[in-house]
Amino acid sequence: MIAQLLGGKGTVRGRKTREILLLLGFLIVIWAVTTVLSPRFLSVKNITDILIQAAPLGFVVIGQMIVIVVRGLDLSVASIMATAAVLSIGVFDNTATAFVAALLLGALVGGVNGYLVSYRRVTPFLATLATMIVLQGIRFAYTKGAPSGSLPDAFRFLATGDIGGVPVVLIVLIGVGFVAHWMLERSVPGRQLLLYGDNPETAYMAGLPVKRIVISAYVISGVLAAIAGLFLVGYVGIVDNWTGQGYELDSIAAAVIGGASLRGGKGSVIGALLAALILVSLFNIVVILGLSIEFQMVVKGVLILLAATVYIRRTRE
Amino acid sequence: MTDFARAVRFQTVHLAIIGLIAAIFMVGVFASDRFVTVLNIANVQDQLVALALVALAQTVVILSGGIDLSFAGLLGLLSVLFATFAGSDPATFAAAYVGILVLGTAIGAITGGIVAFSGIHPLIVTLATSTIMAGAALLHTKQPSGSVPIFFEDIVYARFFDFLPWGTLFVIAAYLLVGFVLWRTRFGIRVYAIGDDERAATISGVPVRLTKVLIYALSGFIVALAAIYLVGRFGVGDPRAGIGFDLRSITPVIVGGTLLAGGRGGVLGTFLAVILLALLANVLNFLNVSNFYLWIVEGVIIVVAVSLFVVRARS
Repeated sequence: MIAQLLGGKGTVRGRKTREILLLLGFLIVIWAVTTVLSPRFLSVKNITDILIQAAPLGFVVIGQMIVIVVRGLDLSVASIMATAAVLSIGVFDNTATAFVAALLLGALVGGVNGYLVSYRRVTPFLATLATMIVLQGIRFAYTKGAPSGSLPDAFRFLATGDIGGVPVVLIVLIGVGFVAHWMLERSVPGRQLLLYGDNPETAYMAGLPVKRIVISAYVISGVLAAIAGLFLVGYVGIVDNWTGQGYELDSIAAAVIGGASLRGGKGSVIGALLAALILVSLFNIVVILGLSIEFQMVVKGVLILLAATVYIRRTRE
Repeated sequence: MTDFARAVRFQTVHLAIIGLIAAIFMVGVFASDRFVTVLNIANVQDQLVALALVALAQTVVILSGGIDLSFAGLLGLLSVLFATFAGSDPATFAAAYVGILVLGTAIGAITGGIVAFSGIHPLIVTLATSTIMAGAALLHTKQPSGSVPIFFEDIVYARFFDFLPWGTLFVIAAYLLVGFVLWRTRFGIRVYAIGDDERAATISGVPVRLTKVLIYALSGFIVALAAIYLVGRFGVGDPRAGIGFDLRSITPVIVGGTLLAGGRGGVLGTFLAVILLALLANVLNFLNVSNFYLWIVEGVIIVVAVSLFVVRARS
């Protein structure tokens, strides 16, 4: 029964299930350790808080993972987050307009990234690095260094409010995660993403619209980053030109820990989300232990190296 | 002409950059009469020393098909350690100087070892080591701290005939040396061979793993020099000294015509691109354009440069 659940040893589904169980096991160990260190940790309130904290990274990591699946990399996500946040407070009075504008911004930047990568054949690293820097310049020039304006109340509600006890942000994240999972595993466009990542030349020979596939991956990543930016400012309550700083690297780390391969063609939404939760839970341990925040960076670096080593070993076997 | 000989060969892209430098220089001349002054010319050079050094390190790594994103953490860590141990008399200073160079080289070698033996993408490896080192630097001190002997600051700020800082001479020497190594030594040939086609290099008997360790060790050594220079300029060790240098070090390499995939390019392009970027920043300053716009310009330059190279490579 369990063997059946895990799938055959050689099958893709079997491998994926084992990876996810490994991540789940890791998460449980972290939470167990945290509970031993601080018995108050294991409360519904506290776990919910951690989930809410992890949510913005969750949005970003789904997009990042999809880009990594098509052999890409998106360094512009943090810049998109901050620009979406800045845009949402200053320009539009209407919350709905601000929201739509932020999403359009994400789609536009993602589209530029995808265009540069697919049509101009710019390396993803450089293309997204360039859009990151340009966007940063535009943002700082627009805000003259310090953003002003106040956050619409609706954003505060979206990020911190709840519907029947379940935080809104988690409902949205689970919805997005579900759609992304279904898309990647079951839908034609999703399978095309994976096929392209596995072997771009075969995908091209098979007549797939390869350029459209690449562009759509970056657009998805851009839009999700914009959403993450809005939720993050809503949660923090203050808009900053550096909102989301570090998310580009955290999201790459989480995607890789969650089973995505930088060589493309491999990635899982559940794995990516679990990995994001693991990262945030680890940061939380550092806080509970009373260690300084800087220690989080050391923990993160070591963890990334460990996780990457584990995956390399497993794929070589 | 083999690819590795391009380490020093003059290429069209170099001519293009020199043309741009000349154009920007003219804009500067018209923008302000304070532009072509001894003081300003020396200022531009002071601004570019640290960037030139880290870009040199990045050039070697990128030529081999790798990438080193650990400069932010490495610069910060080495800076605070150097300022902590440099003391005030020549003896402790010399010990700290040598110690930091050894440490930088050792950290680079460890990074190279992880890259070579684990098979993890260098992007992930260096990102992780950078995070660890940045954390360690901040754990050591949150605020800029420490000091360096006055005589060292004097050297860093000293200028020949008022317009030629020591730093510039140092940078030129470093570029000549690394250029020569890439051009004429076995190690240099191997760097290009690995960057061009790692599998082919392995089959041809190139000790790929050992060479990678050496490449990242060299990178660490050069970054240690940059850290020492930064401490000399600021007079303190700042744990955040390296922030931004990881990505900023890549721009001149790419604009200078080195392919991110490795195997093509060289130090001359990087050197010219560093001058171009420093001059651009300076002229925009004179034009009263905020530094924010410099980012936009820099991003556009990357995209234009890379797009041009891709088109050229295809035709």
